Amino acid sequence: MKRNRGPALAALALAAICLLAAADTLVVKIQTTQLRNAPQFFAPVVATLKAGDKLDKLGAQGAWFQVKTAAGATGWVHSSAVEVPKFTLLAMSGGTKTQATAKEAALAGKGFSKEIEDNYRGKNPSVSFAWVDRMLALKTAPAQVEDFLKKGKLGEGRSSQ
Amino acid sequence: MNARRALLIVAAAAVILGFAASAVQAQIKLPGKLGDAAQKAKDIAKVGKILRSGFADITEEEEYYIGRSVAALILSRYPASDNPALIQYLNVLGNAVALFSDRPEIFAGWHFLILDTDEVNALAAPGGMIFVTKGLLARCQDEETLALILAHEIGHVAAKHGLQSIKKSRLTEAFTSLGAQAAQAYGPAELAQVTSIFEGVLSDIVEKLVVNGYDRKSEHEADALAVKFGAATGYDPNSILRFLQTMVGDKSAVSGKGWFKTHPTPEQRLEKTKGEIGKLKVTPAIEEVRTQRFKQNFALLK
Repeated sequence: MKRNRGPALAALALAAICLLAAADTLVVKIQTTQLRNAPQFFAPVVATLKAGDKLDKLGAQGAWFQVKTAAGATGWVHSSAVEVPKFTLLAMSGGTKTQATAKEAALAGKGFSKEIEDNYRGKNPSVSFAWVDRMLALKTAPAQVEDFLKKGKLGEGRSSQ
Repeated sequence: MNARRALLIVAAAAVILGFAASAVQAQIKLPGKLGDAAQKAKDIAKVGKILRSGFADITEEEEYYIGRSVAALILSRYPASDNPALIQYLNVLGNAVALFSDRPEIFAGWHFLILDTDEVNALAAPGGMIFVTKGLLARCQDEETLALILAHEIGHVAAKHGLQSIKKSRLTEAFTSLGAQAAQAYGPAELAQVTSIFEGVLSDIVEKLVVNGYDRKSEHEADALAVKFGAATGYDPNSILRFLQTMVGDKSAVSGKGWFKTHPTPEQRLEKTKGEIGKLKVTPAIEEVRTQRFKQNFALLK
């Protein structure tokens, strides 16, 4: 009996530790994403969120988080669009909140950014970004994807067809 | 594993977590009276290093900017094919598969483009910019095959294989340097230094992507993800086997590069991929309606 209970116990305890360590604040890590009224793509959009928006995590279902925005709207975001802010985790590990915030400000805007790309392009004028910009300007509407899946007997509803 | 051992592991995990937290605190503690500008800069550099140590710590936005330049370098080697209708079909198909991947949402969305070359190849820049060549498209017989190839490339991006090819020493240099100054804007010297690290990052990735090809582990992982994402979307994953089969024993000049230049042989990939398909609970079957629309769209290519 002991043999069966061990791993389960360990898993439970580890889960508890992880829960303690996890913050209930999430931050949007991609340019824009949608807050939806159900945990599925193509569910009606409640609000549009942008990079850096902070969200309170209310719950989870599969790969989706139920969240509340600063403006008070509630809905679902996909987990690939958000992350647990690292500085919050550090600040929560005890008493360093103000220090973390000061450094967060100092590090903001640093990294491989548009400024670095501009400088790189200045140094390498033969590398053309014209097609990159055209490629990134290609818009694929969610309705188009939904229609494509349906007509191709693909996606979540396919078993009922 | 018995209960005592399990508890020991838990206790060890707790201790390690506690240590990690206090170590971080200890290292980022500002010296009270000695907090002059130089010391602050040093501390911030330390924070930069503590917070970011590996490829997984590259932010989505940084991945996007790395990806843009990698894409530009790919497009400086191969011209793009300007075929709006086919590009649109490719983007709708690619976005449909990406929805059923581990990374449906990515910084600026998923984008797909056709390269105008007979070489049989597909390339994925970090950040979700994916390229397929005309030569590869010409070898696809149906939508299933193209979907599985795009799923393989989406797999490389989802698993961040491009970012993993950045040299470890380069990342350490980048993270140290990025945190080196307290000022919020780059000074001229810092800008020059970070740009030169950026150039190094690009050459690491392009070398792997375009010149040498991925290693065995990354290639098998992308094949496994192709099966997973493709089948989750509803495509017959056996289509990738049919495609890999065409690669067996192919010694033609156009196939001496790209998709054919991976380190596992097509035979090894076939073997492993069959195993992955065998693990699926449900294996979708090919649908005629998809093959029909594929052929309509590809009449535009020829």
